[in-house]
Amino acid sequence: MRSINPSCKLVGLIIVTIALAAARDPLVNAIVFVACLLLLAIARVPFRHVAMRMAPLVLVACGLFMTGYRFGREDVGAIGDPALMNGLILSSRVLAFAGIGFLFALTTDKLDLVHSLQQQFRLPPGYAYALVAAWNLLPDLEREYQRTRFAFEARGLNPRPLSPSLLKPMLVKTVLWSQALAMAMESRGFDGSAPRTEWRVLRIGVQDVVFLAMCVLGWAAVLIPV
Amino acid sequence: MNAVLARLRRDRISLLTGPSGCGKSTLLYLAAGIYPHHGGRVLGGKVEIEGVNPASLPPRERAALVGMLFQNPDLQFCMDTVENELLFCLGNARVPRDEMPSTLGRALSACGIEHLRSRLLRTLSGGEKQMVALACVLVHEPAWLLLDEPFANVDDATAAGLVRLIERIHRTGTGIVVVDHRVDQWDGIASDFWRFDSGNALVPVTPGEMDPVGGARENRWREFFQRTRIGSRRVDERRTRLSLQDVSVQWDGRGVLDHVSYDFNAGGVYALTGRSGSGKSTLFDALLGAVPHSGDVLLDGLSLGRRARLSAGSVGFVAQNPQDQFVADTVAGEIRTSLVGAAGSRDGIDSTVVEQVLRPIGLWGHREFSPYMLSQGQQRRLGVAALMTYDCKVLVCDEPTYGQDEAHAMAIMEALLAIARARGVTLLFSTHDEVMANQIADVVLRLEGGRLHEVNQSVV
Repeated sequence: MRSINPSCKLVGLIIVTIALAAARDPLVNAIVFVACLLLLAIARVPFRHVAMRMAPLVLVACGLFMTGYRFGREDVGAIGDPALMNGLILSSRVLAFAGIGFLFALTTDKLDLVHSLQQQFRLPPGYAYALVAAWNLLPDLEREYQRTRFAFEARGLNPRPLSPSLLKPMLVKTVLWSQALAMAMESRGFDGSAPRTEWRVLRIGVQDVVFLAMCVLGWAAVLIPV
Repeated sequence: MNAVLARLRRDRISLLTGPSGCGKSTLLYLAAGIYPHHGGRVLGGKVEIEGVNPASLPPRERAALVGMLFQNPDLQFCMDTVENELLFCLGNARVPRDEMPSTLGRALSACGIEHLRSRLLRTLSGGEKQMVALACVLVHEPAWLLLDEPFANVDDATAAGLVRLIERIHRTGTGIVVVDHRVDQWDGIASDFWRFDSGNALVPVTPGEMDPVGGARENRWREFFQRTRIGSRRVDERRTRLSLQDVSVQWDGRGVLDHVSYDFNAGGVYALTGRSGSGKSTLFDALLGAVPHSGDVLLDGLSLGRRARLSAGSVGFVAQNPQDQFVADTVAGEIRTSLVGAAGSRDGIDSTVVEQVLRPIGLWGHREFSPYMLSQGQQRRLGVAALMTYDCKVLVCDEPTYGQDEAHAMAIMEALLAIARARGVTLLFSTHDEVMANQIADVVLRLEGGRLHEVNQSVV
């Protein structure tokens, strides 16, 4: 999975996601989910990473199952227990979507993705590098949140987590940051609309075409029998 | 800013000084072509570098004409690692792909930072970040290099290394313009000196007319200290106010503080020095309970939990960046929050009380402004005033004179010392300015290798 061109991976997985949104078969959802886990294992993503991120979504899936089971419409499934079917469809769909999401997120280098979007989809460099810069500021944002909370506590104020009074100074600061960063990038010769050379060159190869074809086939297999 | 007229020579290293907020940075930003694109309006006059207006050029051509090193090392990079950042700059300069590795290698070795190549930018110290920023600028081989207080947050030894590097770059034919309060760093290296006078005009001065350096600077701070000795001091040598006992902090598995123990006396003035990244801020964080630590922090003999240390107002903290401590929408709101917090109720907190606090620091006219709209110096004054209203026992200040000229640095230290003396508050501040620390602190402490040493104890 890691060697597939990020843009192709994105398009392929979106095709699968759209197909799943139309499918009402828990078995198909389960197959997709298991396939995603297998592909993650093949890509050597540590199981711990997947499990940690998956845990909250498994809870959501259980919750949705109960909701679908207890409060579903009576006429949903054709076979078996309609309520049980309804619950299974909802919960398996969450797992399948989560699987696809993690498959993409955990096997794609963010810098490669941005470069690929720029090179394959002609995303203007202005947007591409703004994305990268914003991504690299995220850890600072977390530190800033702690710092702001600390400042409030030091003044005898105890705002609730994520309360607007805490987020407002952060918003002001991020605007100031982005301004400073934009000035620094421009002063190093960055021009969002001018041509530039790139060290990372990403091309579409045979394996990317095969991957896309498989995704389209999967889409057809799910939708056509219905 | 108005009526600036100056002609700077490319074969010189020009040093610009002037009081905080006089427009030194604005001038550099204009020369770098950043303004008026990113702010302000040019009402008249022109800026020309090598006969062209930098603002009229597209960014790539501008970067080849004039490079800029910013004051804040944290907000200069858009990538994650040193190597990726340099590759980004090479792409901006449209260096062909096959030439990138060799150009990158040259830029790294020119700045002596080959060892930082694959490091995450986030993990670098302030001085290292400035070295990387310099390498990024040099990729474009600019004719001029502008430096906006590049060492404001860098220790003396690292700054000296950077100055030598800039001198080497100058010898290759690059014109250098530096804005810096720390004139002593450029002693014997800068050849042209300019100062903003009271009318905001840039006038040439002789080295003798600059802020004093070396022994003369020491004398100025000694005089300041004599002049500002307010009344008799309430230092009680036998009374320990704040006590650190075996405090250790680990950061990513690396020990930053290693069993630090120290007793701070009531009414004492303590300066904390040490190289960038030696753990000064971490020591403050531990003291305030902002990072997990082992060991104990005692205030008046009582071990305090994190909440108690702060919310009782017993330990006041002035952050290095004053923006980190604003909590209200307006300047008046900041002071009102503090007054209400200190008094415990809203009774009797009206605009006259707020005026009493804001007028002496010259911010009453700005009371309806957002704190973020004030200048750096004004923000710092507001930050200190907002904390002064609490009746704290210990006041901790992270780099209170950072980026301030001598007059403002003295004004800030005077306010802090007055509080320490009048109320018997223990004052602990960190600084890179060892001359100032030696002259005004009772005890100068130095953090080195995670341990705290007493460097010098002046005779009080």
